[in-house]
Amino acid sequence: MLFNSLNFAIFLPIVLILYWFVTNKKLQLQNILLLVASYFFYACWDYRFLFLLIFSTLLDYFTGIKMHEAKTRKTKKFWFWLSILINLGFLGFFKYYNFFTESFASALGVIGLKPNFWTLNVILPVGISFYTFHGLSYVIDIYNGRVKPVRNFIEYAVFVCFFPLLVAGPIERATHLLPQIQKKRQFDYLKAVDGLKQILWGLFKKMVIADNCAEYANLIFYNSGTYSGSTLVLGALFFTFQIYCDFSGYSDIALGTARLFGIELLRNFAFPYFARDIAEFWRRWHISLTTWFRDYLYIPLGGSKGGTWKKVRNTFIIFLVSGFWHGANWTFIVWGALNAIYFLPLLLLKRNRNNIETVAQGKYFPSLKELLNMIITFALTVFAWIFFRAESVGHAFRYIGKIFSRSLFKHPEIAHEALGIAPIIGFFLCVEWFGREQQYALQHLGLKWPRILRWSFYSFLIFLIGMFMSTNGSPFIYFQF
Amino acid sequence: MSKFLKNIGWFIFFVIISYPLLVIFWGDVMPHVLKKNLNFRVASGSHLVTKINEISNYKNSDILILGSSHAYREIDTRILKQYGYKAFNLGSSAQTPVQSLIFLQDYVNVINPKFLFYEVFPQTFEIDGVESSLDLLAYYKINKKVLNMAFTINNIRTYNTLIFGYCKQLFGKNKNLQEDTTDQEDNYISGGFVEKKKITFNQEKAPDVINKIKWTPRSYQLSAFEKMVSLAKNKNIKLILIQTPVTSFRYAKYSDNENIDKYFSGKAQYYNFNKLMSLSDSVHFYDDHHLNQIGVRLFDDALMKYIFGK
Repeated sequence: MLFNSLNFAIFLPIVLILYWFVTNKKLQLQNILLLVASYFFYACWDYRFLFLLIFSTLLDYFTGIKMHEAKTRKTKKFWFWLSILINLGFLGFFKYYNFFTESFASALGVIGLKPNFWTLNVILPVGISFYTFHGLSYVIDIYNGRVKPVRNFIEYAVFVCFFPLLVAGPIERATHLLPQIQKKRQFDYLKAVDGLKQILWGLFKKMVIADNCAEYANLIFYNSGTYSGSTLVLGALFFTFQIYCDFSGYSDIALGTARLFGIELLRNFAFPYFARDIAEFWRRWHISLTTWFRDYLYIPLGGSKGGTWKKVRNTFIIFLVSGFWHGANWTFIVWGALNAIYFLPLLLLKRNRNNIETVAQGKYFPSLKELLNMIITFALTVFAWIFFRAESVGHAFRYIGKIFSRSLFKHPEIAHEALGIAPIIGFFLCVEWFGREQQYALQHLGLKWPRILRWSFYSFLIFLIGMFMSTNGSPFIYFQF
Repeated sequence: MSKFLKNIGWFIFFVIISYPLLVIFWGDVMPHVLKKNLNFRVASGSHLVTKINEISNYKNSDILILGSSHAYREIDTRILKQYGYKAFNLGSSAQTPVQSLIFLQDYVNVINPKFLFYEVFPQTFEIDGVESSLDLLAYYKINKKVLNMAFTINNIRTYNTLIFGYCKQLFGKNKNLQEDTTDQEDNYISGGFVEKKKITFNQEKAPDVINKIKWTPRSYQLSAFEKMVSLAKNKNIKLILIQTPVTSFRYAKYSDNENIDKYFSGKAQYYNFNKLMSLSDSVHFYDDHHLNQIGVRLFDDALMKYIFGK
């Protein structure tokens, strides 16, 4: 069930009505409703993997209790590692089995051996990377004494599989989400309206910008050998907007939907394409994953403390793991490594925390220096996305090779067709720029306008969705991760 | 909560009013590249405007022809006339059964034909019918049947074009529409046939490997087709189903051609000219599924021979 589908448009109001009108008297009933709705939502994707989700939930729920009840450190450690190994084992099997066997076979092939490993037609259960990381954060936090285990299974299960975040995040923390699930929620008019606005903006980003950019990005990346360098630049730009609007659009819909239920989820994006350096970009892109790796990997490894070698090592580890988290392909690893290379100079020169505030805060326009920094960061990001999008590392290098050829100065082949989406991207960037100090672009836009004008603007967004939406119904990119 | 629901209700009402207004404004003002999901075409390859304008001249014809481009580009009403049959060709681009049914319902009493030639290209039963619906919404009187068609197809392009077309109709802006009967490539022949100006030949070669697919018709297309069969029966019109020839490699694309034949032959008198004729992929076609005028002549002669024994 896609967020941008008619099924979801029917499902959501039904669950909301039951939630606020039928089960509102008792917290436990509300949580049961959320759990049933979430399992139904997940089963609509593939009911066969529901058992895996339930198993993973049960595993972390019980190991959490067992760790807390453990009398010795050794027993606590046993339950901790049991949960970690099983969780990562499932993730490894479903996501990386074929990658490792194929890569190992290729490596042996280099030295003349031709092993015949079994590769399996493993289907990736949707959302496995996300709900596994939910569970892991919970288990690690209990192990480190940051949270106490939940005794109510329904509450824990809702924490793991609350449907707005189930298939593509944000990756929640027990410390943030669990208290909200354990507390009675009150309907808040302003929050609900805010949620609807965020859903609308998310749908606009996904259905208008991402899906239209996807058509051109796919066309150009699939046929990169036949296009000129200038067209390939356009292809990389289209993918840059596609991936941001696809994923941040999904996150906006998830956050907005959760807010309708009186639940606040972690923010996932903070206008990353307005970042002035790569460190700022990474503080603004997929925030829930970045902070997850920071808290559960980077800091335990020593973070930015210690000698230069240790800093370099830790930076590479976190970026490589982050790349690998996205999928079993060398392209993601190279993408991660490239970002580590971008980031390292900032870290070593201690400039990685130079740009903490929002760019041009309180002003309409950035300074020339800020603009230049934004353009350079954006260009570096676009370059790295080529690896992320390419079919293979070889494909990425061929793509880049063709960009830096004489054909870069040719008129792009698809310029005319792409004209339609260019003004819409311009409109989108304007709204994002003027809303960059908010949680999402539309949050405070028009709050002081007369209602008729505000509603006209929202209607215009709905109209643009109707005028530009793809009629083929494309899924969100991050579902595959 | 009640305030929230009340405002949602008002906002939905506001959108219902403002959306069509925006469609009309956008449709009139914006350039084509900014109208992705609004395709109001004033002229198309099938010359539907001209056909509808001249249909009253073809009252009481012997044959009514319906179908996709294979119908209006391959069944030449002039050749049929040579055999002594007055025919009107109401084929249109990518016409699917959903649109054919509307044409049949609206014009069967005008044409009053003895025979209905229905060109059944299997692919038109598989597609959603959006393309052909856009033609209809641009030129046709928006009535209950057209609305039903739009809801059956259930596609945003169809809805936007329907809104725009309806407003044009409401303000009388689609009355007396005219289109050129000739363009760079085609000549429109009175009676509904569209002739290619030049004879060109198919350049496409058979692929080394043909990725075969199974015929998967949409249920609403089959349902519309079956309504056509019933309507023809009720009106005592002899329904002839025709699968026009395509190149051999295009024909080989379906793995279940036998089942397709079985389905159609169970509905009415059916001729599959891919089996009845032997044509050359390079000489008789201008692309992989359209006959050139040399092929049209051969095909129409064969059509008359098989159907009327002439």
